[in-house]
Formats: sequence, structure tokens, C-alpha cells
Amino acid sequence: MADALQLEPEKSEKKRKKLSTTLILFLALTAMVAIFSVLSKDFYSFLNISTMLTNISFSGIVAGTLTFILITGGLDISIGGNIALTSCLVAYLFNLEKPVPGWALVPIALALGASIGAFNGLFITRLDLNPIITTLGTMSVTRGLGYVLTKSRSILIMEDVTGFIGRTVIPGIQIPIPLILLILTYILLFFLLGHSKFGRKVYIVGANQAAARVSGIRVNRVKFMLYLISGIAASVSGLILTGQTAVGMPQHANGVELDVITAVLLGGTALSGGKGSILGTLAGVLILGVLYNGFTMIGFRYVHIRVFQGILLILIVALYELREKKRY
Amino acid sequence: MKRRSVGEVLLYGKSMVPALILLLVILVLFFGFTTKNFFAFGTYRAIISNIPVIAIMSVGMTFVLLIGGLDISVGSILGFTAVNVVLFHDLFEKTGMPLAWIPWLVVLFSLVVGVVLGTINGLIITRAGINPVITTLGMMAFARGLSSWFALGFEILKTGRITDQVYLNLARQYLPSAKVPAVPITLVYLVVLYALAIIVLRYTRYGRNVFAVGANEYAARLAGINVRRIKFASYVISGAMASLAGAILVAQLSLGRDDAGIGSEMEVITAVVLGGVSMAGGKGNLFGVIIAVLILGVIRNGMVQLQQAIGLSYYWREVVKGLILILAISIDAARIMATKKRQRVRQ
Repeated sequence: MADALQLEPEKSEKKRKKLSTTLILFLALTAMVAIFSVLSKDFYSFLNISTMLTNISFSGIVAGTLTFILITGGLDISIGGNIALTSCLVAYLFNLEKPVPGWALVPIALALGASIGAFNGLFITRLDLNPIITTLGTMSVTRGLGYVLTKSRSILIMEDVTGFIGRTVIPGIQIPIPLILLILTYILLFFLLGHSKFGRKVYIVGANQAAARVSGIRVNRVKFMLYLISGIAASVSGLILTGQTAVGMPQHANGVELDVITAVLLGGTALSGGKGSILGTLAGVLILGVLYNGFTMIGFRYVHIRVFQGILLILIVALYELREKKRY
Repeated sequence: MKRRSVGEVLLYGKSMVPALILLLVILVLFFGFTTKNFFAFGTYRAIISNIPVIAIMSVGMTFVLLIGGLDISVGSILGFTAVNVVLFHDLFEKTGMPLAWIPWLVVLFSLVVGVVLGTINGLIITRAGINPVITTLGMMAFARGLSSWFALGFEILKTGRITDQVYLNLARQYLPSAKVPAVPITLVYLVVLYALAIIVLRYTRYGRNVFAVGANEYAARLAGINVRRIKFASYVISGAMASLAGAILVAQLSLGRDDAGIGSEMEVITAVVLGGVSMAGGKGNLFGVIIAVLILGVIRNGMVQLQQAIGLSYYWREVVKGLILILAISIDAARIMATKKRQRVRQ
């Protein structure tokens, strides 16, 4: 609930509230971990927790950047398609007759994500298009290109670089690389959003776009940057997923939009813009991860959890709206 | 009358219909010249039998977009209905009622399914005031998850096959007779449905209220229109149309599976926006929408034939669809900008 537009006297009160939302989420997270540990003896083990954290790292990274976009009142649902296309392209290039060398795959993937993000950003800012529909179109384009590249098959990719990104565990401390990437991303985004000029601009654009414009902020540039960052983050996620599964396929990350949006909204980011925090999103990502993992451990299946996730999404938003109404 | 350039007609023209018809003709000519069999009768039949599902859902989506909302749960509602059609059919068959009744009862019950889900959408959006995108995103996960749940739980859904010829004939009959298959029965449904919806939107008080709410919600409320009820009705209609499309899809495929209609919301939104219904609400008509549906149908079929003719991968279809969607909203945005500019000049 950090709000950059607050005046000095109210700041302390605001800060307390910001703490409380994130605090509640982390308390809920702790409670869930405790409950699942009691219900299933396998839940609270190093192996399971580490697997769970590795599994959420690819969606967690894009959830972080989506937080920025939601704060400005936008939305990006092309991330799933972007992830899929990245994995397809990387696998395709590596399996050419003259394979592209491994070290070149990472910059190519990042460039791909950046250009998809730039495409979204240009259309949304220059033509003032509805971000939902624009990114829905991009989703179809990217996934379609994935199908074209792979001819709707899965392409195996056993390769050092993506394998390193997706599967390597650092010896000694036993922490997998995807988790480290997740942590690094969140540290970076935390300082970018909470402690930089750019982050303050993001909040102001979200809170009041017209006011931001008259106070000299280049609104379009800020928004464009966010879609660009989101595209790059999606390609990083794509590389992680490719490494984890050792396969490039156009069906990758199908429906990841729902997980990511649920996590961000659970973290207290408002759809109407102007509000949200990276720590909240981190809590949201962890809670969703624990829910999926915990329910699976005690015997539920994916489809059952999916049904409840739909209800959960609506409930979360309803609860936050209720909280908001009570406050004012 | 002053002659206007194509660009002016596109930007300032009251309706997109002329431009859309032009695009349709160009596409038909393009596919006609690049492929061998495009003008064959079989192509016409393939296109006509392919479009009903999208066309029916587009009616519901038009009502939703006109009031300035969005419904991305239609694909999942379609899937949930498809699963339910198989279950209802099995249930009614076991009760031993006359075979001629079953199809109609099944359609009726599946309509109820769609109405119930649409009602839930509508209630959450209008009563709790939650963003329509998030609400229908939640419904999308809920309905799809529930249909997969059913598919795991019921033995009959392992195949999901329906062999009852009476039910299949709902979508597979041809008029005037089976020997002279000129007009598929689904085309008749479409004509009736679109005529009905156009009449409702144009000549009833409810229809005018829909446009009023979409154009300016605040003014509509001041004019004494029950805005909530109008919005609510749109989501119910959208749900009902999605389930109707589901019932017809099952009859066409003789198959009701839980993954039916995945991603169809994207095609429906493309059709409706391409048809000139504004994302901002309050503007658009169903003539444009049905032509846009036809355009998408022509592209779908044309791409298949193009693959046979010059070996272009069929999967380019998804890419083309996405690009058309972005193009469509770009035109929509350009039109809104042009109108604003004009108003400013006049003032």
C-alpha cells in the first residue's frame, strides 16, 4: 500500500497500514506452512520445500514485473505465450543442422522477450489501445509462432546453458539456480519500485495519470518501459522452464496468466492502479505455491485446486474492496 | 454528395460494415486465386458448418461489450456445457423417456447451466462491484476446473461420445432435404438468432437501454435506467449463448470433452471487435459482427487450403488471428481518436 502521493503527516499512518497488509499475508503463509506440516509429514522437508520454491520461480519472476504493470492500471496476459515462444525458439535454434552455440541462446532469448514487450508497449502507449485486448492478441501471435516453429511437437533440448539455468543446484548450500534468479529478481525489483525515482513515477502514473502528465512525467515512456521489462522477465522465465523440462514446446506455461494475476492481486495490488508492493507479491507467490504444493501433498488433484483457485481469485479481490470501503 | 476516400470511410463512417464487406471480398478473391478449390461447394459448406459456435458466442459477447464489459469465461462455459450435455443425455436415456424428447431437454438443461454461470458472473460484477475481467477470469478457471473434475469422475466422460442420431441431427441436418444438402440447419439457427438479437437491440426499450448504459453509464443512471439490471442481463445472455454454442458443438463433433472451446474466447473477442463493436462500449451492431465471423471463417478455411496449395504451415492461423485482433482494436482506437478530434474542431 505504499502510496507515493501521500503528504508528510499521513505518512506514518500509511506506513503502518502497508506493514499490516504484507504482515497479514506472511502470517497467513506461516499458518499454512504449519497446517500442511501437520497434515502431511512429507511437506516440511528440505527436498519438498526446495522443489516447491524451484517450481514457483518461473511464475514468480513474471509476477514481480506484472506488479509494476498492474500498479499503472495495465495488464499483460501475453506472458504465457512469450514464455512458450522463448522455449520453442531456444530449442529450435539449438536443434538446427548448424546449431547456434549455447552461449548465444541466452541473449537471443532475452532479445526476443524484449521485442515482444516493446511491441506490446508501443501499441498500448502510442495508439492508446486497451492493454488486455492487445496482449491477448500478442498471446495468440506468440503461441502461434511457437506452433509454427515446432510444428506442434516438443523439441528436446539437452544443453549446458539452459540446463545450468534450469537444473543446476549449487553444491554446498544446495540452492537451485532458478531460486537464486528469483531472489535476485525480487531484490532488484524491490529497490526499483520502492527506492528509486522510476518506482515513484510508476506509483504516480497509476494513482493519477493526468496529474502525472502535468507534473512532467513522460507517462508513455514509463508504461513502455514496464511492458519491456515484463517481456524480458518472461523470456528469463522461458529459459528457466526450458531448462527445467529440457524441452521446448508451444503448450508451455498454458494458463500461467491466471496464477500470476492471482498471486499479484493476493499480494494487495489494486486493479484500479496506484497501489501495490513487491513484498506483497512475493507473499502472494509463496502462498499460491504452498497452497498448490500442500493440497497436492494431502491428496488433491490439480483440477480440484484449479476450481478453488477461481473462487479464491474473486474472493481476494472482494475482500480487498471491502477493506478499502471500510477505511474511507 | 462529396466523395470520400477509403481512409475517411474507415475513420468517420458511421458503421464498419462497408469496410468489412470489402475485406471479406478481398480475402475470398485472394484465397480463390491462390488455391485451387476455394470456390467449390464443399468449401462453402465447410465454412458455414465451422462458424456457428463462434457466431453464437459472438452474440453474447456483443451484448457484454456494448455495456462496456468483458467476458473471458465463455470458452470455459462452453467446455463445461459440453461435458454436461453428455451427462444429461446419459441421464435422460436411463430414465427411458421418448428419444425424440431427449435432445430438446438436453439443450434446455444446458441452457440452464449457462444461465446459472452467467448469473454468477453478473451478480459478482454488478452487486459486489468487482472488475469484470477478474470475475470472468475466476469463472474461467472455475468452470474449466469443474469440467476437468467431472471428466475425471464420470466413467462416461472417458470417451464423451454421443451416438444418438436424433441429438446429432440438431446440428447435422441439411435443408431442404438430405439428398439436396443446400442449407445446413445451423445456418437457419444463426439467421433466426441474429435476426432476433438485432430486433431486440434496435427496436426494444431494453436494447436502447443497452446502448445508453454503454455510451454513458452516469447519464443513463440519471435518465432513470436501472444500470445494474441492464449490465446483469448482458452477462446472463453471454453465459446462455456460450452454453448454446456448447450444445451445438457437441452435436457437430458427436463428442463432449472437458477441453472443448479452450481459447475460443480469444476468437470471439476478435470477431466482435473486428465487427466494429467498440471496446469502450455503446457502439456497434450485429451486422458487422456476423461479417467479421465470416471473415475469420474464411481465413480459417483458406489457410488450410493454402497449406495444401503452397505448403504454408496451418499453424500460421493463430498468428494471423492475433494480428487481426490487434489490427481491429487499432482501427477502433483510431476511430475514437478521430471522432474526438472532430468534436474538438467543431467546438
